[in-house]
Amino acid sequence: MLTLFLLLPAVGALLALFLPKERAQDAKWIALVFSGLAFLVSIAVFVLYNPHVEGYQFVDTFDWITADTAGFAISYTVGVDGLSAPLVLLLGLLSVVSVLVSWRIDVKEQQYFAWLLFMETAVAGVFLSLDLIQFFLFWELELLPMFMLISQWGSGRRLYSATKFLIYTLAGSAFMLVGFLVLGATAGTFEIAELVATPVTEAAVPLTLVFWAIMLAFLVKLPTFPLHTWLPDAHTDAPTAVSVMLAGVLLKMGGYGILRIALPILPQQAHDARWILATLAGFSVLWGAVITLRQTDLKRLVAYSSVSHMGYVLLGVSAMGAVGLSGAAMQMFTHGTITGLLFVVVGLIYDRTHTREISQMSGLMHRMPVVGTVFVIAGLASLGLPGMSGFVAELTTFLGSLEVHPVATMAGIFGVVLSAGYILWTVQRVLHGPATEKWRDLTDATSWWEITAMASLVIVILAVGIYPPLLTNAVEAGIAPIAQIIEGVS
Amino acid sequence: MLLPAIPEAAVWAIYAAPLVAFLVIVAALRHRPLLAGRFAIAAIAVSWVLAMWALDTSIGLHGEPAAFQPHHWMSLFNLHVEFGIRLDGLSAVMIAVVTSISLLVQIYSTGYMAGDHGYPRFFAFMSLFTMSMLGLVMASSLLQLFIHWELVGLTSYLLIGFWFHRPAAAAAAKKAFIVTRFGDFGFMLAVVLIWVKTGTFDIAEINHLAHTGMISASVLTGFVLGLFAGASGKSAQFPLHFWLPDAMEGPTPVSSIVHSATMVAAGVYLLLRFFGTVEAAPGGVHTTIAYIGGFTAIFAASMGIVATDIKRVLAYSTISQLGYMVMAIGLGGYVAAIFHLFTHAFFKSLLFQGAGSLSHATNTFEMPLMGGLRTKMPITFWTFLIGSLSLSGVFPLAGFWSKDEILLDAYHHDMVLFVIASLVAFMTALYMFRAIFLTFFGEYKGGAEPEPGHEGHQAHPHESPRSMVAPLMILSVGAIFFGLFNATGAFGHFVEGALDPAIRHFHFELNIVVMTVSTVAALGGIAVAAAIYYAGRPESSAIRAKLGPLPGVVSRLYYVNEIAEDGVVRGVLYGGIGRAAAAFDKYVVDGIVNGVGLATRLVGLGVRQAMTGQLQAYTSMYVLGVVVAIGAIFVLSGGALERLVP
Repeated sequence: MLTLFLLLPAVGALLALFLPKERAQDAKWIALVFSGLAFLVSIAVFVLYNPHVEGYQFVDTFDWITADTAGFAISYTVGVDGLSAPLVLLLGLLSVVSVLVSWRIDVKEQQYFAWLLFMETAVAGVFLSLDLIQFFLFWELELLPMFMLISQWGSGRRLYSATKFLIYTLAGSAFMLVGFLVLGATAGTFEIAELVATPVTEAAVPLTLVFWAIMLAFLVKLPTFPLHTWLPDAHTDAPTAVSVMLAGVLLKMGGYGILRIALPILPQQAHDARWILATLAGFSVLWGAVITLRQTDLKRLVAYSSVSHMGYVLLGVSAMGAVGLSGAAMQMFTHGTITGLLFVVVGLIYDRTHTREISQMSGLMHRMPVVGTVFVIAGLASLGLPGMSGFVAELTTFLGSLEVHPVATMAGIFGVVLSAGYILWTVQRVLHGPATEKWRDLTDATSWWEITAMASLVIVILAVGIYPPLLTNAVEAGIAPIAQIIEGVS
Repeated sequence: MLLPAIPEAAVWAIYAAPLVAFLVIVAALRHRPLLAGRFAIAAIAVSWVLAMWALDTSIGLHGEPAAFQPHHWMSLFNLHVEFGIRLDGLSAVMIAVVTSISLLVQIYSTGYMAGDHGYPRFFAFMSLFTMSMLGLVMASSLLQLFIHWELVGLTSYLLIGFWFHRPAAAAAAKKAFIVTRFGDFGFMLAVVLIWVKTGTFDIAEINHLAHTGMISASVLTGFVLGLFAGASGKSAQFPLHFWLPDAMEGPTPVSSIVHSATMVAAGVYLLLRFFGTVEAAPGGVHTTIAYIGGFTAIFAASMGIVATDIKRVLAYSTISQLGYMVMAIGLGGYVAAIFHLFTHAFFKSLLFQGAGSLSHATNTFEMPLMGGLRTKMPITFWTFLIGSLSLSGVFPLAGFWSKDEILLDAYHHDMVLFVIASLVAFMTALYMFRAIFLTFFGEYKGGAEPEPGHEGHQAHPHESPRSMVAPLMILSVGAIFFGLFNATGAFGHFVEGALDPAIRHFHFELNIVVMTVSTVAALGGIAVAAAIYYAGRPESSAIRAKLGPLPGVVSRLYYVNEIAEDGVVRGVLYGGIGRAAAAFDKYVVDGIVNGVGLATRLVGLGVRQAMTGQLQAYTSMYVLGVVVAIGAIFVLSGGALERLVP
């Protein structure tokens, strides 16, 4: 089933690519069908995942490269647990949403949708891989579509932004690969499960270095202060769908890597690093929030708010306890839906106003009540309003982190106050105020693909916010083994 | 008492009815204004009837909590969150007040909001607000309370900014939310702290642990000060008070419920709900709370004296009266605080509705543009007078009884605060009767032009429609008589049922000194107001001249707005820290990145090559790059490599 999830978008990508030129506009339908099928599979995975059974489920595996004489093997192994199941669902959902918000793409549709689907496969590979080398390959694979989509279909300084994104990530992942190789060489396996079961305690290179080499890639991806400046550029110049995927799932690869690999495989080193991580987290939250306040470009504003919100993931991680880690895992899912929705709405506004400058907008609520209302809902979710998913995740994070890191947690809670500031100020400037002559002819979002894209995310945000067990049951099962390892260290 | 005990489901229905109204209006009645209004009123009427039943049950239990079990909401490892209903003397009174005021305000709104094109939206928001407030007062868990606390903040934001096309309203709504959120920083910290230290959110359990000495003094101090920070935001205590006057930009029925009886009372309610914990906190905490309350009371009253907008007079008055309640809590006056909260809800809601009725006739809230309305709007006049007398604490109206309870607590515990509180009583009577003389006496000054979109309102003053004056008359009954509930101490003993028996120490007392002082203060305030008015100098420039710059400072609201907005937010946060951080990102972090970028120009050139669109070229370069990188890494990590190949 997981291999199906992995392959469906890739097959769709090939079909879209080989579509005859005169039927290029059909590419979006192929993309919708295949991402839709993948979404159905992801729902099945999430629903059928049994939180009461330990370990990975729906595992598909075969040996890929075997070197018996050398005593190690690189295998293809995919599986999910409570940590990855929500992310798989998130990926399935956001992929459909990103296809929907690309409905009006009219430049090189075949390649565009092929890259978009290809990206889904790559990210799916990251979330599903249970082998370090396989994980790394998918991790690198995701760069390609991302780079192409930003540089070809983006706007503004798109080449600069795409290159910046590429260099940042490649720099990080080079170190990650070194770390992986050291681990694999020492333990004689690249299987994550085995590396967790029989921990590496000594290697040719100090393990602390190995830990930081791996963490560097994840911290860039998350992104964490001071490794975050690629994100606003990439977001600002990327097309809407790419922003949705970038904020919604690609950033989660960083948090996922920390929880799946860095913490359980090198728990002692992670534990030793908790103060540094907490400091970085507190900084990210406040730094991101304060800079967000100053943004004049709507998309850049949402991008910087991501830096702040992903700081909560790191804060939860740095607490090194079951509740904090759960908060981090939940924050990844909820941030994906909330920020994904914010980018959808910003994209819809940009499609109509052809500007992202906040100072150019005013009183849009009068002309676009639907978009405006969804903007407000997404904004409220982003500022952590109870009844929406973000609140539960942030609160859980704070409950887990206060005792270990009181100062960083206070910084985090203050970030919540600041988020109210930048969100509501933006709402006031963009939506409120008298109806202006300039925007008299704006039309509201009424087509089926726009409504579906917005409604599906709003429903998920509200559902998790009102009834958190939808998410927490899986998360608890996924975090429990990691927490057990990390809490055993002192 | 009269009825069988209320089942838990019926108490939930009090909460659910307005929620249903909200959902139905949003889903089906967006374009049916008349029906939307009626549906909302029907729903809140159901809540009100059930609330009376709940009150009856609670009276039967002498205010002791009803035995309802909490329900599981979510759990994660050792984090178990349960939600339930706490029905006792305190919450039963609050449920009754919230549903009563909400019902009357919504009836009033059918007249006041008639013809507004956002009419259905207004009733949807009103219903959602009522639901949030009811959820807040009936919560058995701190987290449940906090969730509804935030929802109250949201709905108040939506209601203050109801006319969002007006820049002032949009700004005021944002300000209200953000300023109260500053207080919520403390509240949220308190919520997290108490769970970390006790492992529970259950309010009764926390109170019990606190006053049996199971929570350390330092944790208690942090927790109670955190709660107090939250309460200061919602209940507009200095220095977080300055959002409330601006919030008058919302429709007047909103002020009549949100800014009199409910949202602003939520902060006081929070401290009362945790009274057992507050009591157990070290003495310094009590002093802090009492003095901030006392200072807020006199500080806001001084601004009430100089305001010219009648709604703002009432807003300052509300801040001042809330200061009274907070002061009472700091002094240990649990009953006094609830009792004043209870009576204040009725007379302040009445006064706000009266102000709304005045503007309905004159299209303005500026008192200098009114005058002489006593004969043209007799019902509004008489009910407003009743409300003012009650607020001023004139015997035997409701405000007299509840204010005396507070003065009595101050008299027994802290003479400084007693003097302040008596001064506030004098100032209260002064600003209320200044308002009455300016609006109802003398010549009519002509009002203001109707706003575009509201041309339907007549230009010459007239009494408001029945839907508006009927609630005024009903509220007057409360403003006159509801003080008598505690004329024998019955109310006090009822609400004390909510406390653990060990900390009940209310005893009823009539103190002749306190009663004399408060009556002299009130009558003195009225007399001074009359003297100034009939001396022909309502805004006496002579007095101003003698006082020097002071009245200027007061009418600029002590520059709190300027300090908070221009100084802290614009200056420090936005201009200072924000600019520095943004510059650091742009020049230092990106500078390094771009430097690295230059150094790796080769890579950049290769990438640029790929931009010609030749996919094959790019892909092969990519693969080549990965291979080279892996090779380089293998060479670099020589130690590891040797282990790979034995």
